[in-house]
Amino acid sequence: MRVAALGHGTEAVALQSSPHMMPPARRRLSEQERFMLLLIAPAAAILLLFQVVPILIGANASFRDWTLYDPKKTWVGLAHYTAVVTDRAFLTIVLPNTFLFMTVSVGASLLLGLALALLLNRPFRGQKLVQTVLLMPLMVAPVIAAIMLRWMFNDQFGIVNVVLEALGFEGQPWLAQRWTAFAVIVLTDVWLWTPWFTLLLLAGLQSLPREPFEAAAIDGAGRFSVLRFVTLPLLSSVLVVCAVIRAIDAFRTFDIVWTLSGGGPGRSTELFSLYAYVYAFLNLDFGKGSAAAMIGGAIILVVGLGLFRVLDRLVQVSR
Amino acid sequence: MRLLRRAVFVGIVALVCGLFAFPVLWLGLTSLRPQSGVYYVHRGTELTLGNFVQVLHNERIVQAFVNSALISTLATVLSLMVTVTSGYMLSRFRGALSRAWFGTIYVFRCVPYISWVLPLYFVTQAWGVYDSYPGLLLPHIAVHICFFSWLMKGFFDGIDPSMEHAALLDGCTRWGAFVRVALPAAVPAIAALAVLCWLFTWNEFLFALILTGQRTPVITVVMAQFVHEMGIEWHLMSATAILALVPAFLLTLFGQKYVIRGLRI
Repeated sequence: MRVAALGHGTEAVALQSSPHMMPPARRRLSEQERFMLLLIAPAAAILLLFQVVPILIGANASFRDWTLYDPKKTWVGLAHYTAVVTDRAFLTIVLPNTFLFMTVSVGASLLLGLALALLLNRPFRGQKLVQTVLLMPLMVAPVIAAIMLRWMFNDQFGIVNVVLEALGFEGQPWLAQRWTAFAVIVLTDVWLWTPWFTLLLLAGLQSLPREPFEAAAIDGAGRFSVLRFVTLPLLSSVLVVCAVIRAIDAFRTFDIVWTLSGGGPGRSTELFSLYAYVYAFLNLDFGKGSAAAMIGGAIILVVGLGLFRVLDRLVQVSR
Repeated sequence: MRLLRRAVFVGIVALVCGLFAFPVLWLGLTSLRPQSGVYYVHRGTELTLGNFVQVLHNERIVQAFVNSALISTLATVLSLMVTVTSGYMLSRFRGALSRAWFGTIYVFRCVPYISWVLPLYFVTQAWGVYDSYPGLLLPHIAVHICFFSWLMKGFFDGIDPSMEHAALLDGCTRWGAFVRVALPAAVPAIAALAVLCWLFTWNEFLFALILTGQRTPVITVVMAQFVHEMGIEWHLMSATAILALVPAFLLTLFGQKYVIRGLRI
C-alpha cells in the first residue's frame, strides 16, 4: 500500500510555523524543503566525506597512470577502461563467474531462506531452539567463516574428506579444482546469507493478514496451492527487495572468495572485486584497479535497476 | 502414517540444523584442542581450556574486544540516528529532492567496496583520523547509510501518516510531528535494525583491516592475524573466534524476537 506524501496537503499549515528567516539574496527555500534538507543533512554529510570524496579520488585515479613508478600520475584518459574491457580474462572468466555466482548464490539462499521461514512460521515443539540454530551464521564474522570452511575442505586434514573417505568415497582436492572451489565459495555464501533471508521473510510472513488464509482454508485449498496462490503473492514485494539488495551485495563479494580460494586455481574462480583488488593492491596499478572497479559498479548499477524492474513486473503480473 | 511423517519432519529439521551449526560446532571443538591436536581434530580426546586462558592473557586481544564493542555500539547508535531521519524523509516526501536523495543512495550502494576503501585510507590519513575511533566509526556509518535509509523508508511507509497530519494541524512543528508521533511508532523497526547493525559492525573485516593499525586493534583483524606465512594458529584463532561469538550469540538469542517483529518492510 502506498502512503500519501506528507508534503502536499499540509503546505498551508506548515508555512505558518516558519520562524527562521533566510538571507534574501538567494531563492528562498520553502519551509518544507528546509525540513527535508535538515532530515538528510547528517547522513548526506557523512556520505559526502567518507564515501563520495574517496570514490571521486578513485574515479580520478582511473583516468591516470597511478602507479608507484609514475609519481606524476600522468593523465591517460580512457586507456585503463579500454584495457579492462578488452581483457580476455575479464570477459571470459571474471564476468561470467561474477554473474554465475550472483545468480546461484542469491537464488539458492532465497529459496532456502523461504523454505526455512515457512518452517519457522508454524509452531512446533523446539521452534525457538531451531530458530536460534538457524540464525547462527549471522553471528559469525564472514572472514572467520571463510577460514573455517577452507579448513573443513582442506584436502589433507579437512573433516569433509575425512568423512567422505570413512564412507568409502574418494576425497577431493576441493579448492584446487575450478568447479569444486566455486561450489565451496557458493556454499559458504549461501550458509552466511540464508539466515538473513529467513529473518526478513519470517518477519514478512508474520505480518501478513489472516483473512486470505482463512478464505483459502474455507475453499479447501491444499498446502501447495495456499503457498502458490496466497502466501507468495502476498510476500512478493518483500521477496523482490530482499533479492535485489542481496544481488547487489553478491556482485561485489570479496572477502570470502579471497580467503577461500584467492581466485584460484589459476584465475578460474576470480570475481570482479578480486580482479580490481589484484590490480590495485598486488600489482600496485591503482589506476587500472580503479577503472575495473568503476566498470563493475556501473554494471551492477544497471543490472540492479533492470532486476528491480523485471521482478517488479513479475510481481504485478502474478497478482 | 502420521508418526512416519512426523519422524521425516523431525529428521529433516535436525539435518538442516546440523548442517547450519556444524561449522560453528567444529570451531568450538577446535578451540578446545591443544595446539598439537588441531590437525586431527576428529581424533584424540585431549581437551583443554588453555587456549582461552592464553588468549585472555593477551593484552592486544582484550584491547581488541573493548575496541570492537565500543565501535559497534557507537556505530549502531550514530547510524540509526542519521538513517532514521533520512528514511523518514524518503518515505514522507515526494518531489525532486526526495528522488535525488534516493538516486544518490541507490548509486552509492552499488559502488564496490574495493574502489572505495583504498582512497578512504588516503582520506583518513589526510584528515588525521587514521587508526582512531572516528576513523573507523564514520566510514562504518557511511556504509550503513544507503542500506538502512532504504529499510527505514520501508518501515515508515508501513506507518500511517494521518497521525502526523493531525499533529501538524494541532500546531505541532514538522520536527515535533516526527519526534513525537512517527518516531515512537518506528521503535520496533529501529530495535530490529539496531541488532543487525551491531552484528554487522562487530563482524566487519575489510574496512577494519585497511583503516586500523597498531593503536586500534579490532577483533576481526586480530583473529585474521593468526593466519600468517608460518601457517594458521588454529587453536588460538578458534578460541578468539568463540569468544567473539559470545556477545553476538547473546544478542541474537535475546534480540531475534525484536528483529522478527520489527523487520516488516
